[in-house]
Order: sequence, then C-alpha cells, then structure tokens
Amino acid sequence: MKILILRSHLKSALDAVSRIVGENLNLPILKNILIKTDTNKIKISSTNLEIAINKKIPGKIIEEGEISILFSVFHEIVNNLQSERIDLEDKKRNLFFKTDNYEALIQGDNPQDFPIIPNIKKEKEFIEIQGIILKDGINKVINASQFSDLRPELSGVLLTVGPNNIKLTTTDSFRLAEKTFSNQQFKENFNIKPKIIIPLKTIQEVARNLEEESNIKIFIDENQILFKTEDLEIISRLIDGQFPDYEPIIPKELSTEILINRNELISAVKLTSSFSSRNNEVVVKIKEDKKVLEIYSAESNLGENKYLIPAKIKGESVTASFNWKYLMDGLKNINSENILFGLQGDTKPSILKSLSDVSYFYVLMPIRTS
Amino acid sequence: MNYDELWQTVLVELEIQISRPNFLTWLKNSSFVQNKDGEILIALPNHFAKEWVEAKYHKFILGSLRTKDSSIKKVGYIVDRNIFKKESSPPAETVLAKAQPNKDQLSFLEEMKIDPESGLNPRYNVNSFVVGSNNELAYAASLAVIESVGKKYNPFFIYGGTGLGKTHLLQAIGNEIKNLSKGKIKIKYVSSEKFTNDVIWAIRNKRMEDVKKNYRTTDVLLIDDIQFIGGKEKTEEEFFHTFNTLYENNKQIVLSSDRPPRAIPILEERLRSRFEGGMIADITQPDYETRMAIIKVKLQEMNESLPDEVIILAAKKIQRNIRELEGAINKIIFYKNRKNNLFDIGQAEKIINELTEQSAINITPTQIIKTVASFHEISPADLTSKTRRKEIVEPRQITIYFLRELLNLSYPYIAEKIGKRDHTTAIYSYEKINRLIKKDQGFQQKIMIIKEMINKSNNL
Repeated sequence: MKILILRSHLKSALDAVSRIVGENLNLPILKNILIKTDTNKIKISSTNLEIAINKKIPGKIIEEGEISILFSVFHEIVNNLQSERIDLEDKKRNLFFKTDNYEALIQGDNPQDFPIIPNIKKEKEFIEIQGIILKDGINKVINASQFSDLRPELSGVLLTVGPNNIKLTTTDSFRLAEKTFSNQQFKENFNIKPKIIIPLKTIQEVARNLEEESNIKIFIDENQILFKTEDLEIISRLIDGQFPDYEPIIPKELSTEILINRNELISAVKLTSSFSSRNNEVVVKIKEDKKVLEIYSAESNLGENKYLIPAKIKGESVTASFNWKYLMDGLKNINSENILFGLQGDTKPSILKSLSDVSYFYVLMPIRTS
Repeated sequence: MNYDELWQTVLVELEIQISRPNFLTWLKNSSFVQNKDGEILIALPNHFAKEWVEAKYHKFILGSLRTKDSSIKKVGYIVDRNIFKKESSPPAETVLAKAQPNKDQLSFLEEMKIDPESGLNPRYNVNSFVVGSNNELAYAASLAVIESVGKKYNPFFIYGGTGLGKTHLLQAIGNEIKNLSKGKIKIKYVSSEKFTNDVIWAIRNKRMEDVKKNYRTTDVLLIDDIQFIGGKEKTEEEFFHTFNTLYENNKQIVLSSDRPPRAIPILEERLRSRFEGGMIADITQPDYETRMAIIKVKLQEMNESLPDEVIILAAKKIQRNIRELEGAINKIIFYKNRKNNLFDIGQAEKIINELTEQSAINITPTQIIKTVASFHEISPADLTSKTRRKEIVEPRQITIYFLRELLNLSYPYIAEKIGKRDHTTAIYSYEKINRLIKKDQGFQQKIMIIKEMINKSNNL
C-alpha cells in the first residue's frame, strides 16, 4: 500500500473511529485500526465487536493494499503534526509515515487478523432521512436513557417505524422522551415495519459522526443495524429485549396545566438547585392565586431558597418535587419560547412539551415527598 | 458421543491450533444447536464471530467434525443473541447503584405493572401459590373468601413471617375476585403505609372527605402489613370507622400482618377484637416438600431448568424465607446463563452457602443474648447468672437454642458462654425448645418474632 493523504482528512477519519477502539482486552488487535484502499478512497475501520465504524476519506492511491496499526500512537502523531501532506507506505506490515520534515515507522500487525466487519443482508429495505433531522431527534431523546445492565432493553433508543411516522423513544424508567418524525421528513420502504432497540453507544456514535447536510440510510437486519452515508458506515448489534409498553404512562388528563416561559424556568431551576445537594430535589409549587409558580429548594444544613415566576396556570393547585437534573434535561430538549408543564398530582407522571411543536414530549416522574 | 461433546472436542483441537485471544474472543461462547440430516448448526455470540469463524476456521471445523463423524456433511453458523447478551453483561450490582439515583425517585415501570384503580399487581395469582401444610388453612380460607365475597369469613386475617407469601395471597384474592366479577366488584389493595400516608395527606390538605369516600365505597378492601398502623392514633381511628362502615355493609375486608392480632403491640383494643371476630389463618415456614414445589413452580414461570441436585440443595438449605429461596434461584439461574455450559453443582452450592451464611454471618452471641433478654424484659446479666428462677430459665434456654440454631456453636462453648454451665445443660435446653416449637403454636410464634428481632438488630 502506498497513499498520499491530507492531514485534515486523516484526522477527521481518526476522530470518527476513535471512540470504539481498544475496549476489548481479550483480543489486542481491537486496539488497532484497519487502513485499506477502497476504489479511489481510503477506508479506515475500527470495531469493538459490538459496533464497527468505517469512514472513507479522499486520498491519492499510488498502490492498493491494507495495513493494521495501533490506533493510539497513530492518532497522536496525526494530532500533533504541522504539515498537511502525508505519505503512507507499508513496509513488511509496518507503516512508514512521512511528511516533508518528519518520518516515523509504526509497527503493524497482520491485516488478516483484523476482525471481518459483518454485512447487512437485507439491502433493499431502508429508511432514508436527512442527517440534521436525525441528529436533532437523537439529541432530544438521548439524555432520558442510561446504561442499565439490569434492564438492558432500556439502555438504548427504541426506533418504531409506523405507517405514517417514525418514533424515537427513550426511558430510564424515571423519565421518558419521544420524538416523532412525520412522513414528510423521511422515506422508508419496509414491508414489515421494524420496531428495534438501538444501543445507546451506537446512537451516540451516530449523532457524533453524522454530517448534517448528508442523507443517511438506515438498514436493519435481523439483529443488526447499519447507518450509512456516502463516506460513513456505522454497523451495530441491536438490543434484544422488550421495550416497556409505555403508552399508558403518557399523561392524558392533566389536573394542572402550567404555561411558562422556558428560559425563565431554566434559570429558576438552575438557581434554586444550589440548595439541593442531597436528593437533587427541587419543589414546584403553585401559589394560591394561580398566577405564580414557585420553585423552591432547601437543604437542612445549608439553607433554603425560592424563585417566583409568573405563569398561566389552569387546574388544581399542586406541590410536587422533582430531580432538578431530570427536569433540566427535559427543558433543554424543547426549543420553543414557552412550554407547557402538565402535572397529575404529586405522585403521577408529569409532562413537558412545546405548545407549537407536537412532535416531542418529555414525561417525568416526581420524587416521593415524605 | 453426543453432538455437544463432539463440538467440545472440536473446540479443544481448535484451541491448540489458534492463539488464546482468538479462541476466547471467537469461540469460547459457541455451542452446538442442532444436527439436521448431517447439517450441523453452531451458535456463535455475535455477527463478528460468525463472519470470522466462517472465513477462518470453517475448513478446519468441517474437517475435524467429519473425521469424528462421517455422516456430517455441512456446518452452518447462526448468531445466538442470548449467548451474546450473557457474555457481555458486567456484574449487575454496580449498575443497580447507578440506575437508582435516589430511592424516592418514583419510577413509572413499577407503576405500569400495577393496576392504578385497585392497586393490584396481576403477577400474583392463586394458581402460582404453592400449597403445603404450612399454609393450607390460609389458602382454603382465601378460596372461600373469593367464592363468597363478604359473606363467609369477614374480616379475614392472615399472619405469618416475612417472605412467606402473605402479600401473594392477599393480591391473589384481589386479582381472582376482580377477574371473576369482570370488574363489577370494586377492589382496593393498599399497604398500611399507603393508608397512613393517605390519612396524613387528608389531614394536611383538609380533604378527609375524599379519603373517606375513597376507602368506604369499595367492595373489597385488602390491607397489607396492618401491624404498622398500631400506635398511629389518627390512622387507627380512621381505619376503625372505615372498617365498621365496610363491615356493616357486608363488604369484604382482608388483612395481613406479621403476627396475630393479640401480638400487635399498641393496637387499640376495639380494633383487636374486631380483627379476631372473623377468620384468622396463619402461614408458617414451608416444609421441605413445599419448598421443592415452590422452586419448581418458580422455574416453570421463568421457563428455566436446573439439575435436581441443585433444587434439592436449595430446598434443604434455605428454610426460613421463600423470598430468600426465590432470590437464590434467581441468582443461580443468572450465573448458569452467564457461564453457559461451564456451570456446575459446586457453583450452585457456593451461591446457596453464601446466601445462607450471609444472614447469619454478622450475628454475634452477645447480640443474641441482648435481644432475647430485651424481648423478655430482663437484663442480659440475668441470662448468664446462676439463678434458676422460672422467668429466667426459659429465656436462657431460648438463648441457648438460638446460639445453636443460628450460629451453630458447639455445646461446650455455648455452656461456657451462658454462665459456665455444663454442656449437657446446653444439649437439654436446645432439645427442649425444639420440642416446644413443634408442640406449641404460640411458642413457635414467639420464637419466630425473636428470630426476626435478632435479624433486625443485625441490620441496625
């Protein structure tokens, strides 16, 4: 193999594959990446045997071939390099690295030992969606999910393809976020509409690496998924499990509806939370005249504080406690100026949504007050 | 040689051929699936392993298989998600801590399981309740209650130690009535904690009428762990009136407690007499056969199986508490699935031993002496003194019994500990208490309460 490549391209590819390198202790070659010439482009791959990423970058190919080298040292060199033009050449499995004023020889391993990245067999059925739309959707739901080995089915994003929409849903059982894409936002041709759980790590990689202007195609095999753009492929296993039937917990009849300025509520929660170190607990309280919302927090050995915000309030007076971090996550996921904060008493799920945008909501459970 | 063994021998050959990391990564969690007319199917943990094995080892595997069994024509590979899942799951404990930011954070997964109107969890039903001599009466009475709601046994009072199935029975009564009446009968299941909270909420918000309406319009009221309302005056009073209203209108009331009504301290007399006016049934510790049956039912529910030796071992060792028994089985199954075919009886034994020792491990003889003394309202010094007063002798014998039963100490050591007595005294005492437990229900009850106190003192 002999190639000529630009540093910026190489760096972008190494950044793309970086997060999943070197996680397996059993098989040392997983600390490596595979560099391979692939029809006028250079393909860089990494895998941890759960996810694999292939990133293609432009470069001048003088001689075809492939090489597998340790990622960490290669990445460091490329990060610290000043020159733009890089010559790469393999010499008996080792990589000869050269710029106009720098040379390095990096020991490599047999590229045949690098894991074979699986293919998706069903190539005809896929979802096609614009990068920016998918990325925005993922970012709105991803913070409501957490890694959980006790409930692996929650450690991911549920993707449901419906007759007219696609939904992304996440929950950690304390809150639940759902983003719906309408059928103008995507194309799909699945015969049997899939309902799958994509691992959190995979979806993070997708959101991180996706170029906003590119179109992304999503292929789904029996228990694999492939996200594919022109230059990027992310292949991952799916999570095997039953996502909870969450429909019943989405609040339908709200006993209290609070219409409130989002920025003001965010500052209120941020400010008052300084007194909630133990439980992360802030109290949301409706004043008697129902024109003001009080955010209150106290810690017995610190003190207490409250913040008053004018709001339009309908329904019953209520006092409920929330984990402010969870509340903040929800507020950050909504972009409209005003939001609707709906409650059903102090022990039932509450809901945050935008008045103008019906495609998103965030359900949050209160904290039990003693 | 069966095919599982055949596959194992192929693996042994492969292990020599390829590097250890490669073997561990690609083949360790493989298993034989089926042989269909000479076509062997092998399960691999993930797609990467499948691609790799197909590309690199297929020839060797096929060749090796065929030299051992010439009827084999083909080898295929599938991805078994289950072995994948098991392989990749790190220890559960660390995650549990992470996933629960704070124990008061309400979770809707719990809520989803429970019917919001009645508070019943459909998981509990009459069929999954294992009947043995320890709970026959309670079970039969429950069936009678289900059959003639509010007419025959009212109130129906179930008592027994923790983890023996009171909640199961209570919930099962509720679920069964609900199913039979097709929703026409209004059922309410609450823990006494919830009842207390409701009363407190009502007092605070001046909404007593709501709570009254809520509880007094129901047809079947099930209250779990009623002993906790003892001493909470306002709650007791509210409960008393609710009880009367329901009782007068022939509505069914079912209560559970960890001890009989007369043993609940600080419970108002008028409530006690009302509890005793209906049917009282106890649930005691299950015998060996019942424990066996429980494990088998549990395994069936989980759709799992365990070798008979493991079941026998678990049933023998874990006697006190069904919840513990289920916990042990869950843990064994978890290990079995993670270790796949490397699981053996020794491991199960280790798990069971850990669990049974865990509960006793931190108890000290002093703790037992103190607890028994405080139960009998005497001083620990009395127990180890020379006196032979009747009110001291029995507690002393009970202490000896627990030292032997819970800590498995030697008789001479116990005798030494309890005031430099002869070891035959210890043997006599232990046997006497054992006899009394078998003979006298009331006495058994007392021993159980002390035992729980000892366990609790340990947790503090």
